Amino acid sequence: MKRLLATVGMGLALVLFLAIPVSRAEYGDVVINNFSDAAGMRPVVFPHWFHRVRFRCKVCHADLGFKFQAGGNEINMVKIIDGEYCGACHNGEIAWSVENCNLCHSGVPGTPTQVHESTIQKLVAPGGKTGPAAAKK
Amino acid sequence: MNRRTIGLIAAGALGLAGGGAALADGKTVFETNCVACHGSGVAGAPKMGDAAAWAPRIKAGQAALYESALKGKKGMPAKGGNPAISDADVKAAVDYMVAQSGGKGGGDKAAEKAPEKAAGKPAPKEAAVPAKPAAPEKAAETPKPAPAPAPAPTQVAAAKPAAAPISPAAEVNAFNRLLKPAGKRNLPPTQDGIHDPANDGTQLLQPPMEAFKILPRSPGGNGVNWVQALESNKIAPRYDKADPNAAPVVMDLNIVREVKGSMPDVVYPHKQHTEWLDCSNCHPAIFVPQKGANQISMAAILLGQKCGVCHGKVAFPVSECRLCHSKKKDTITTGAAK
Repeated sequence: MKRLLATVGMGLALVLFLAIPVSRAEYGDVVINNFSDAAGMRPVVFPHWFHRVRFRCKVCHADLGFKFQAGGNEINMVKIIDGEYCGACHNGEIAWSVENCNLCHSGVPGTPTQVHESTIQKLVAPGGKTGPAAAKK
Repeated sequence: MNRRTIGLIAAGALGLAGGGAALADGKTVFETNCVACHGSGVAGAPKMGDAAAWAPRIKAGQAALYESALKGKKGMPAKGGNPAISDADVKAAVDYMVAQSGGKGGGDKAAEKAPEKAAGKPAPKEAAVPAKPAAPEKAAETPKPAPAPAPAPTQVAAAKPAAAPISPAAEVNAFNRLLKPAGKRNLPPTQDGIHDPANDGTQLLQPPMEAFKILPRSPGGNGVNWVQALESNKIAPRYDKADPNAAPVVMDLNIVREVKGSMPDVVYPHKQHTEWLDCSNCHPAIFVPQKGANQISMAAILLGQKCGVCHGKVAFPVSECRLCHSKKKDTITTGAAK
């Protein structure tokens, strides 16, 4: 039984690994996985490109106080429903509201926090593979 | 589709005809001994299923792969660190991994070499290892069915990645191995490798290309020239989260930074930056607002500091040298005096 479970586990792990090959998401997509994996949610994928079509950098990075660092803002759902960070717009008025969990929490489980395609990610992990070392910047 | 089906059937047939049994116990051996490294690709181990990582190894020939597995190579200890496994089992595991990693295709390419090597190899081995009868058979078996369906390799190679939607076929000698090919840029979220295709929300997200196709293009980053997109009113990003009419406070001041070496001097335009950003985004934390007070180097930028806080993450990447290094130096005429 134990063995069976282990095999199934390995199978799952394999499927996951096979599902995350090389980088090909958008330049600037930010994966935020501070708490998601531990909470059993998919990590958040923040599409920079989508937001910069609609807002200037200043709105989030000056008015809303987002630091220029992936995973550096300690965002959680309480802050969001209290109108901080994403919740400043994702409140059902400016943008869709928090009940649409899966629109943000849409990443492949286990994806580390990262700015996708960033120069530092490429330098630290040649070939564009995401490694733990490349995760934080 | 048809070709793929044929390829799959061919692969299946090969499996049955050739090493059906070998593949079966190869799987067991793999799952008990090899998966720790080859399942995830740690310590430089080629990950099973990663056709690109396996292709050059497969090309080197089955015999070379067996040898690496049996005797160890780089990070890998002999027999993966478990001397209890028989040679035949190690080979079976290799066969299994190769077959799962776009291998049948590669195996065929190696087939021209493999027979001689396989023929040459077992002889000296046989003397050394008593468990031989099985091994040479298998070694002979694998190359044998391979040459028969000559066109199969490419089809199988094409069919394999289809499982993982976009992973490129193993074109070992393709141009720009490490460069993202044109067809793999700006993919829809379901195929971009970061979004979970099994998540219902992923289907609802806007595919980038839908937004980008009306925007001016640029070679770096997203492939969008965002500054031009804004200047030409192709996009109208808000300056205030709620007020669509808020106008940015634009400051039109160029800062020229003389640089060492032969590169043209850098012209930093406040204008394009203040269109997007607030003064407080950069000053004083990232840049001291005083000319000459900031040490900036490409090394720092590459590491995500100074200009690299944005450039190389979301603003145009450092590959677009000339966008910053844009002021021709007059050092050629005045160089001697300096």
